[in-house]
Formats: sequence, C-alpha cells, structure tokens
Amino acid sequence: MDSAEGVRIMAKLDQPEFDVAVLQLPGHPCCPGCAGPIVSKLILRALGKNVIFFGTGGCGGWTAKKVPCFSLHFSGVGTGAAGIASALEMRGREDIQVVSFAGDGGTSDIGLAKLSACAERGDNILHFCCDNEGYMNTGIQKSHLTPYGAWTSTTPVGKATRKKDMPMIMAYHYIPYVATATVAYTEDFIRKSRKAASIRGFKYIHVLQPCPTGWRYPPDRTVEMSRLAVQTRMWNLYEIENGTVRVTLKPRPRPVTDYLSLQGRFAHLRKERVEEIQARADDDWKRLEWLDGRNMWTPWVS
Amino acid sequence: MLDGNEAAAYGARLSRVEVIGVFPITPQTELANRLARFVADGELKAKYVTVESEHAAMSICAGASAAGARVFTASCSQGIAYMEEVLWMVPGHRLPVVMAICNRSIAIPGGIRATHNDSLLQRDNGWIQIYCENSQEVLDMCIQSYRIAENEGVYLPTMFCLDGFSVTHTAIPVQIPDQSEVDRFLPPYKHRYVHLDPENFDQEIVYGVEEEGETELRYQVEEAMTNAKKVIKAVDAEFCDRFGRRYDGLVEKYRCEDAEAVLVTMGSITGTAREVVDKLREDGERVGLVKLRAFRPFPTEELREVAREVEAIGFVDRNFSHGSAGGGIGYIETARALYHLKRQPQLLGFVVGIGGRDVTPADIKYMYRRVLEASKTGETDGEAEWIQLRA
Repeated sequence: MDSAEGVRIMAKLDQPEFDVAVLQLPGHPCCPGCAGPIVSKLILRALGKNVIFFGTGGCGGWTAKKVPCFSLHFSGVGTGAAGIASALEMRGREDIQVVSFAGDGGTSDIGLAKLSACAERGDNILHFCCDNEGYMNTGIQKSHLTPYGAWTSTTPVGKATRKKDMPMIMAYHYIPYVATATVAYTEDFIRKSRKAASIRGFKYIHVLQPCPTGWRYPPDRTVEMSRLAVQTRMWNLYEIENGTVRVTLKPRPRPVTDYLSLQGRFAHLRKERVEEIQARADDDWKRLEWLDGRNMWTPWVS
Repeated sequence: MLDGNEAAAYGARLSRVEVIGVFPITPQTELANRLARFVADGELKAKYVTVESEHAAMSICAGASAAGARVFTASCSQGIAYMEEVLWMVPGHRLPVVMAICNRSIAIPGGIRATHNDSLLQRDNGWIQIYCENSQEVLDMCIQSYRIAENEGVYLPTMFCLDGFSVTHTAIPVQIPDQSEVDRFLPPYKHRYVHLDPENFDQEIVYGVEEEGETELRYQVEEAMTNAKKVIKAVDAEFCDRFGRRYDGLVEKYRCEDAEAVLVTMGSITGTAREVVDKLREDGERVGLVKLRAFRPFPTEELREVAREVEAIGFVDRNFSHGSAGGGIGYIETARALYHLKRQPQLLGFVVGIGGRDVTPADIKYMYRRVLEASKTGETDGEAEWIQLRA
C-alpha cells in the first residue's frame, strides 16, 4: 500500500482481532494519554485469552486484565515468565503463550542479564519491551533507552550518550524473532505479535510507548507522537526473522525537528545537537535499509 | 554412602520435582551437577533451567510454582544475599518453593565453609527453616519439606540447611527410600489457591496487594508459621511411621532426662556434641543436648519446656549479629522465648565455628563446663562469649 505516509509493506490481518472488551476492564491507573494501556490492549487484541502475563515494574502495564497475571519484582524481567513457561512445558501446555512485559529500564538496565539469559536458553516466552524512554513512574529519570539529548530528572542538561540498540542486541542472541512496533501502527503491532506467538522459543518485540508526562507534550498527542517517531525515522519499524531483516514500513522522511520540537524534553537542544540527531537518524536508516532483505547473521550473503 | 549434596539431590529426585532453577556456588555445586545428570539420564523428569544468577534461580522457581510445578533450588552465602529480593516475594505469594541451603560464610574474608548467617539472613520474611545434622536427615528433610510447604494450612516456602563441607561433602551410609513409598507419602503438587491457568480464570484482578492490605497479608503469613509448628511435627511422625526414622519435629532432645545443664545446637555441630554428652554422662555429669531443628518457626514452647527442667542453657551459635543485644541470633531469640517464665534458668550464649572453624570435642566440653558452672553458681555475666578466639 502506497499512502501519504510512505510505503507500507505489511499485509492485512488474516484473522479478526480478539474482543478486547472481554479481556480487559475499562479504565486504568496511568496518566492521561499514557500509551501503556494501548499497548496492553493491542497485545490482548492480537493474542486473545490463551495467555499468561508476567510483568515487572513499569507504570504503563497496570491495566486490569481478565487473563492470569503474575509479577515478582522489577529486576526479575523475563525470568518469572520463563518459570511459568517451564511449568507449562512440564504440563504439556505449550499452547498457552506466556507474555513477559517490562519497561525500558527493566529490559535494558536492571533486567538485561535476566533477559539475555532467557534469550540464550530459548525460553518459550514473548517479551515486550514497553519503551517510554525513561524511569517515568519514579519521576522521569534517565534509563539506558533514553535518547541522546533528552532532558530527564537525572540528565538535567540532556543525556550525553546514545540509546542502546536493544532490538539488535537481542537479535545477536540468535533468537528466532525480533521486531519493533509502536502504538500508532496497530495492524503492524498485531501482526508482529501474532507472528511472534506462532514461533516456539524466545521472541522479542520492542514497542515505542510515548509518555506525555515524561516527554513533555500534551496528553492528546500520544498517537501523533508515535506516528511522528516513525515518520522522522527516530523509530524504525522492522522485524528480524531467523536473522533476516525486513523493514515493515518505509516512511517518506520528515526532518527530526518535526518530532523533537513538539516535546519539552528536547526544548533545550541547540542547533548543532539537533543536526547531530538528524545525522544519526539518517545513518540508522541507511544501515537498516542496507540490512533490509539480508540476513544480519550472514550479512555478506546478499 | 552419600554426602549431603548427593542426599539432597536424591531427595529432590524422590520428591519428583518438576522445575529446577539452580546456579552453581561452592559448596553446593555437586548438588547442582548431580541433579543435571539425573535429568540428562532420564532418571528425573524435570525441566532443568540453567540460570545466570541466584536471583534468577528463585524467580524461575516462583514463576513455575505459581504455574503449578513442584520446584527446587539450592544455594548459599553470596548466592542467598543476591537472591534476597526474590526470597521476600515467595512467602507473600504463598508459594511452596523448597530450597537447600549449603551454609557458607558471607563476604569478608571470603571463606567457603559453614557459618549460618546466610540462611539466618532470611529469618524474618516467612521462610520455614530446618537445620540438618547429616546426609540422612538432609535426604529425609527434602522430602518432608515438600509435605510441610504444600500443606494447605501452611503454603510457605521451606529451606532445609546443611553445613558446607561438614555435611555437603561428608559421606555417610544413607538409606534411600523406595520411590513408591515416597509417592505414597508425598502426593503430586496442586496448590489450592494459586494457579496461573487461562482456562480456570474467573477473577478480575490487577496484580498485587494494595498497601492497605499489607498488615493482614503479613499476619496471615504469621498464622501460617504458627500452623507450621504442628505440621512439622505431624509430618515427621507420619514419616516415621512409613520410613522408620524420626527427628522429633522442631527440636530433638538428647539425654535431657534429669539434666541440669544443656547446650542447644544447630546443624552438624550436633553430631560432635552427642559424643561429648555421652562422655560427660559417663563421668557422671548431668548434661543434655537440645538439637534445634526448626529455626523458623522458632520452637518457643519447646525451649520453655526445657527451661522449666534445667538450671542452665547454653546456645551454641554458628552465627553472629554485630552490635546486637548479644552474640548470636539463637541466643537472642532464646532469651526472648524464656523471658516470661516465672523461674528463669541461667542462659549463656556462645559464638563458635565461624567461617567453618572446626568445633572440636574440646570446644564443646568447654561450653558444657561453662553451663555446668552457671547451673551450680546460679550466675552468669550475661554476655555472649566468642570462643576459639586466637591471639
């Protein structure tokens, strides 16, 4: 489909979505405009009822779901889910998808060793990194996934280092499926979730989850922020299946300023910094475009 | 002949554990290795999860237990300290996880032999703690631990502790019960309340207990601990009926009849102390031995019974609590247990065997001499004594 946004590679959904009203109670305890409840709904719409959720920390995930949920502690990312999956394997119930979710801090900082271990073992779980680019419910502190230049409570003059490339880090664990997603592209999100759930082993989906409170933009612009992140190539949509990279949306590029200028966390950035961010976004896209269609585990084979 | 590590592994195998999450740490490694071999050889049908840390080991166990599997892990020392965050989660979720602790010193100066501070670090969070004297008791208590932990009135995690090297690496003749007998004693695990199952899910809940409920949650754990006292005794009695070995529940009294002075010991020191008691009895001394098996729940009533009949009690602590009311943790707890008695025996505290330093018959004789003196003079200075100190 060739739209005003760019070239969309994805096929339409082949199965109807699950009725989220049956699976999740209305209302949530998150800030107005939080993308977290949208993520939670999208997972349920994609996967339906035959799931067990394991979540740790993170403010966006606390919606009331009508499916079994379990939690241990902030730093137990993935591992509690791996325990559940182990029990299901012993019970011969591998039809049940164990969904693990954690925020960016849980996934990339305190829980990285846990998640890495789950990936290395090939635990049969689907992990969602719900990335709002900071420790938001403790008061907007920097995480390793906070982007370069962004203001947080602990980077008051802007973050000096880059965001870790978590999807690529996970892809080099040689797991069967890695994907990126965000809330503005719901079909893409649902299709990737379903594909991941159809594969046995450890699957990783990294979701950009805009946060009006931490990013400093009005709460009614969350979906717009999500879409702009993709259109400005600050967040690229792709999937990696057994190493083969496929870009799932090729946007007509817009300048990063279209994205940065709407968020208070970037308001202090001088022109040179913005140019730096633009250059990196361009480089990231070039790398991804080069990888598109290649197997990143054997990239010399075209 | 089995050493403590092998005995624990056999105990887990006989208990038909289904998920094992374990991270290697000296002196527990042979336990971990043996279980891996059991699984690889098909002698134990279980999922053996090679975790990257003890923190993950307990997280795996918690998740698997909540999803309906019988689980097992083992650790000690730094591993327990690293696991601590998760150890606090498990009793609150009322998950009957069973763990072996191969007691080992923590931190400076990095010793690998027994001190009980690693397991005692977990004395406040709702874990049942049983201390074993030798390999046979280790094997038997592994099986009993599941019966205790999975009791509906309890549903608390249980650790059985074996001293590093002096039990983990000391082989003795051990009777391994028949699988069929163990199966009759220990039915398959099924939690009455906690089961993560999409098909049998009718609750509409957000995970977690609101802060307002924490007092009640903790009180329920306290009640479960109280129930555990009865359950530990009942399980032990039933175990004896079936297998012919009994450990007397929370405490075992050894030659305490008409004793005027007793020592209270935990773990492997007990074996040496038995021999010293026999020798002193031959010499006409009225001494006895109380082997404290369960530190949690603490055998308050049992110690009061002892206190009513003797003139002096000495608590032998293979642990320390720096800057506390005195010496070791057992001594402090016992003082509280006896405080409300109308007639108080003399109470002495000894800190001994730290860093796995051998506790010799001479050390134990010395402690008996000290309690006998107190029983005769009716006086103590009220200070815990660190013995075996070198200049």
